[in-house]
Amino acid sequence: MSGRKQGEAPADEGGSGPSGNKPPRIKISKSSEGSDAKNASRKLKDMEICVPIVCGTIAFYLGRKASESQSHKWTVYVRGATNEDLGVVIKRVVFQLHPSFNNPTRVIESPPFELSESGWGEFEIAITLFFHSDVCDKQLDLFHHLKLYPEDESGPQTTKKPVVVESYNEIVFPDPSEIFFSRVQNHPAVVVPRLPAGFNLPNPASIENMAEREKGDTKDHSLSQWFLNFSEADELLKLAAARQQVQAHIVKLRRQLSVMDGLPQFSKPTAGYEFTS
Amino acid sequence: MDAKDILGLPKNTLPLPQEKKPRAQKDAQRKRDGISREVYALTGGLAPIMPAIDVSELKKRPPSDEKITWQWLPFSNSARKDNLQLYHWVRVVNGIPPTGDYSFAKYNKSVEVVKYTDEEYEKYLKDASWTKEETDQLFDLCERFDLRFIVIADRFPSARTVEELKERYYRVSRAIVAARGSISRESSGNTPAKDPYNVSQEIERKRALSMVLSQTKQQERKDAEVLAEAKKITEARKAERVAEESELPVTSNAVPEVTERVVVPGDNVPSISNVQPPPPAAVPSTVVADNASTLASLRMLPVYLRTYALEQMVQAASSSAGLRTIKRVEQTLQDLSVNLKPRVPTKAVCAEHLELRKEILTLLNLQKQLQNKEAEGSSFRDSPYTEAPGTPKDRTFIADSVSFGGERFGKRDQKRKATGRLSEAPSSPAQSKRPRKQKGSDL
Repeated sequence: MSGRKQGEAPADEGGSGPSGNKPPRIKISKSSEGSDAKNASRKLKDMEICVPIVCGTIAFYLGRKASESQSHKWTVYVRGATNEDLGVVIKRVVFQLHPSFNNPTRVIESPPFELSESGWGEFEIAITLFFHSDVCDKQLDLFHHLKLYPEDESGPQTTKKPVVVESYNEIVFPDPSEIFFSRVQNHPAVVVPRLPAGFNLPNPASIENMAEREKGDTKDHSLSQWFLNFSEADELLKLAAARQQVQAHIVKLRRQLSVMDGLPQFSKPTAGYEFTS
Repeated sequence: MDAKDILGLPKNTLPLPQEKKPRAQKDAQRKRDGISREVYALTGGLAPIMPAIDVSELKKRPPSDEKITWQWLPFSNSARKDNLQLYHWVRVVNGIPPTGDYSFAKYNKSVEVVKYTDEEYEKYLKDASWTKEETDQLFDLCERFDLRFIVIADRFPSARTVEELKERYYRVSRAIVAARGSISRESSGNTPAKDPYNVSQEIERKRALSMVLSQTKQQERKDAEVLAEAKKITEARKAERVAEESELPVTSNAVPEVTERVVVPGDNVPSISNVQPPPPAAVPSTVVADNASTLASLRMLPVYLRTYALEQMVQAASSSAGLRTIKRVEQTLQDLSVNLKPRVPTKAVCAEHLELRKEILTLLNLQKQLQNKEAEGSSFRDSPYTEAPGTPKDRTFIADSVSFGGERFGKRDQKRKATGRLSEAPSSPAQSKRPRKQKGSDL
């Protein structure tokens, strides 16, 4: 429950949260703005906060214990991409299961946002993320396909190795409010842009304090050994290689075209085809 | 000109069947007796799907004085010359077997081959390239095989082509018919008399046919490409002519594709440089505008997913391209072993991904331009079968992209990483105990 409190405390405008470090922070913000309410609604233009998340399912085959209706035990979750606590941004997650489950709408009010069930069938899980009031009042829908049976038919199913499907995504908040920005500025779960010079924002909540409260992270999660790695560098490297190759071909084609025309000046107008941005 | 003209038949027989038709249709529309009204209403008076036997036929009983028996009786076939006796079952009414010829004998048709006498041969049929013996043999075979010239050519002792045999046969027949005069007037529909056999045309026809049939798929494809290109060029020229006639300057932005293809190697240089530049200038500006508007509309959202943003941007960037081009972009991405949807869609990755797609679009554009140029060139060289240089380029591109992407960034790399990850993470017993505890608190 502490995770929830930690997430909401800075958003509270009445100031009823833990009073350790809050009053001085408000003071600083008040120095430039008139009132607290105005401060909360202030938007930071042309800036975006993004939260890298991974949503996935891990399914274990129950082996000898499997029954007709319950052959697999599975867990669906939304975690931070680096297993950081998402409670700082996400208030609640609703998993919409297949209607054949009891109470198919499952609400998880605190991190870690995950749900374990057992069953026999694969289906599409609708995941709805609700954010803290200072973050965004709109919810966000995700979909994840529950996978129980491994893709390659390599022998019988084992109880040892689960079927893991994870997908990386980023929640993007364009033009975030200042109060949200300052609250998550140094939080490891959130990617925040550098502030342009001349911007004066209230001090972020101290990191030590955050770390102390953090219980919702998935770093030493029981299933963490099955979590996949998502490396941006690998992806970028691959794309860069592909681009290099395509560019080389473009150059080659341009040369061929100009040779065909036999006009040296013709190579110039074709250069306009490049989509420079 | 219709079938009647070709067959040389008089035309006045035509109206008769037409008169008959409407009446027959009316009959079909009338409700048949014996079908219940409800069933008839279901079909709505449409013709029944199954061939229906007229109900009156079904209800008709054979007259009571008819006594029908089936008997195993001998019969002879008048089409046979050997008087062979065979037996079959015959329907016998009142003990009187049916008389007349065997009902299938009439199907034994044979061609009437013209006969000529030695005298006639000497008079009309002499030919330097044919001896009388050969001609006799030919006519024997024609009679034996009912003018099946393929078989005749096969059996013919000396090496003669089908065309040669046909020509000799028809020429002789014609000559005889013409010489006998009286017969020719009687049988005005006799085809050899009316339309002489044209050897050279026949040989040419067969040659062309065998050429078409022996074409490879590749050649066919190339032909289709060349024809399509030719069509484009003629259309472009037509458009150009129209534009010139109306004396109005062509707005190149409105018809960039057409004006672009007006450029033909035969044309003089200035026209190329006049026409070409506008389209390239027009394309990027719209793309940039699309991007900006997409970004702006995304900014309106309070929150969105990175993958959603990427989808929107990809869509906007390829909005000017056709469905086929989009498919080709995706194919190229796959050839480069790049995921169509990035696995780790961070902001930087998405930006790179978009750039890559744009570059591929540029590449495809250039390829198309080059192909157009080559097609125009080759169509003027009048050699559709020369290997078009446009296609192999495609191939080499794919080939070395595979070698590049496959070796360094292909699946092997991913797999290695995946297994590395699995072995990396130690499964400590303490960790494996936790799920039960946590599950309780979750639910």
